[in-house]
Amino acid sequence: MSASTADRTWRPRGLSDLRLVARQARYEQLNFWRNPVGATFTVGFSVVFLVIAGVSSGSSRVKYLGNIKLIQYYEPAFVAYGIMAACFTMLAISLVNRREAGLLKRLRLSPLPAWALLAAIFLSTLVVALLQVILVLAVGRVAFGVPLPGNVGPLVVTLVIGVLCFTALGMAMSTIVPNADSAGPLIATVFFVLLFLSGLWFPLKSGSALARVSTWFPVRHLIVAVFTPFSPQGGSPWAWHDLGVVAIWGVAGFAVALFRFRWAPLRSGR
Amino acid sequence: MAAVSVNGLRKSYGAVRAVDDVSFDVERGEVFALLGPNGAGKTTTIEILEGFRARDGGTVEVLGVDPGERRTQRWLRDRLGVVLQELAVEPYLTVRQVLTRNAGFYPSPRPVSEVIDLIGLPEKASARVKTLSGGQQRRLDVGLGIVGNPELLILDEPTTGLDPKARRTSWDLIRRLASEGTTVILTTHYMDEAEALADTVAVIARGKIVASGSPASIGGRDSSAATIRFRLPDGAASDKLPVPATVGEGGAVEVRTDEELRTLGALTDWARERDIKLGGLTVTRSSLEDIYLQLTGSEPSRSEGQEAIR
Repeated sequence: MSASTADRTWRPRGLSDLRLVARQARYEQLNFWRNPVGATFTVGFSVVFLVIAGVSSGSSRVKYLGNIKLIQYYEPAFVAYGIMAACFTMLAISLVNRREAGLLKRLRLSPLPAWALLAAIFLSTLVVALLQVILVLAVGRVAFGVPLPGNVGPLVVTLVIGVLCFTALGMAMSTIVPNADSAGPLIATVFFVLLFLSGLWFPLKSGSALARVSTWFPVRHLIVAVFTPFSPQGGSPWAWHDLGVVAIWGVAGFAVALFRFRWAPLRSGR
Repeated sequence: MAAVSVNGLRKSYGAVRAVDDVSFDVERGEVFALLGPNGAGKTTTIEILEGFRARDGGTVEVLGVDPGERRTQRWLRDRLGVVLQELAVEPYLTVRQVLTRNAGFYPSPRPVSEVIDLIGLPEKASARVKTLSGGQQRRLDVGLGIVGNPELLILDEPTTGLDPKARRTSWDLIRRLASEGTTVILTTHYMDEAEALADTVAVIARGKIVASGSPASIGGRDSSAATIRFRLPDGAASDKLPVPATVGEGGAVEVRTDEELRTLGALTDWARERDIKLGGLTVTRSSLEDIYLQLTGSEPSRSEGQEAIR
């Protein structure tokens, strides 16, 4: 018995497990792009919003942000939006739907390890987030002439932190939503209220009431953190304070996700 | 060696004892049915076997390992096929894509095209899952359960909601898997399903196993009283019958007996001597349904019984 237990004990399967993750990520992507509504709403919106904002703002400038053109604020803001839409909204809604449909439980009962499934979901989310970042940057550059930061290092680091933290928050959010019917409305409402509070559609004046409320939430801080490398405020391309707040939210989200994550539909009680 | 061995299994949800000292063995190659009303503890029991739910007490071995032991969980899942109660199939992938994806999780899967044939969906292989009917999705669900070529297949109410024809198809599939040596555990609240498929039936009610055995013998079914029914032709004198009987309208006769051979002999001798035909002669024992209703504590009249089961 003891010998057979040793035979049956889990051992990392190295390369074959990594291949399993890559393979699963591919199916995650296939499933995502096959759902036209999800794909359009998630990926299309950031670019559509950027174009609408860019066209309607014309040559307006923001006095309290060093007199930059408004589009120079909008472009980083919609980069941040793209990350949050993919990692928070899309991920949370899809996790709730899959959990409530029994899909997560079924995958949990297959030999695909839980970590491999979560890694594949993360990779797939990352692809969607990156795609939006690239699209927004490209459209901003070509259509509105917004230059990339001279030093892309701080921008890349900021994007990585943003993706990790909002993925954790998306997972945490999915554990709070009780059923599939309320997933879309609830998560989208939370998201858009936070976006509104956080000045996605218009730069917030520091010291204003909204700006003070929004400092409590990570959305505002990610927008500022992505904006800073483009238009360094006070010379530094690093928004350390904002990145710190985003990171704290991310860690808290990760902790909530870790303790509350469920594979089985919540309606089954227990 | 038993494929599954459960001893003194206990699981409570708060004050509710969902599974209360349950023990049973499932032999390799056997079809084992866990029969019981909703909320009896069937799903909790098999979720513990699947390693999905932790138990409060007792010992469980599935294919020789403890399903709650994390270190051997993946070994077990390589060899375990599961079909859940709820339909769980990704809507946007095609039938073949879903099966191919899941086949890749297992070390020695069954060929995907073979699975597609087995579940009878060859003409739907390239169709998206969301375009399938409910019954077809259910079959795909079963296909996902067997694509890993499992040693043990666990089906939680595999035919609930299927039409009679689709149920027969599922039964044929389960019989075929069993004949290939797959051990099958299924839960059901259909008596006919347990009777048609299972080598062993365990009846579970309120968290306890109240009876187990072969479908033919469970609950003392084989030793219980038999009922002989027939119809006497017009004019035949029913008061001269050789055994105690109740005679209804139109000459319908019902005889309850513990010794059906002797009673039947007396009846046929009597009829032959008088050259009387015993129309529509039948001998029946308690149906599995009768036994089930007795065991699970609801023992209403026949018509109410039908309601209680559904």
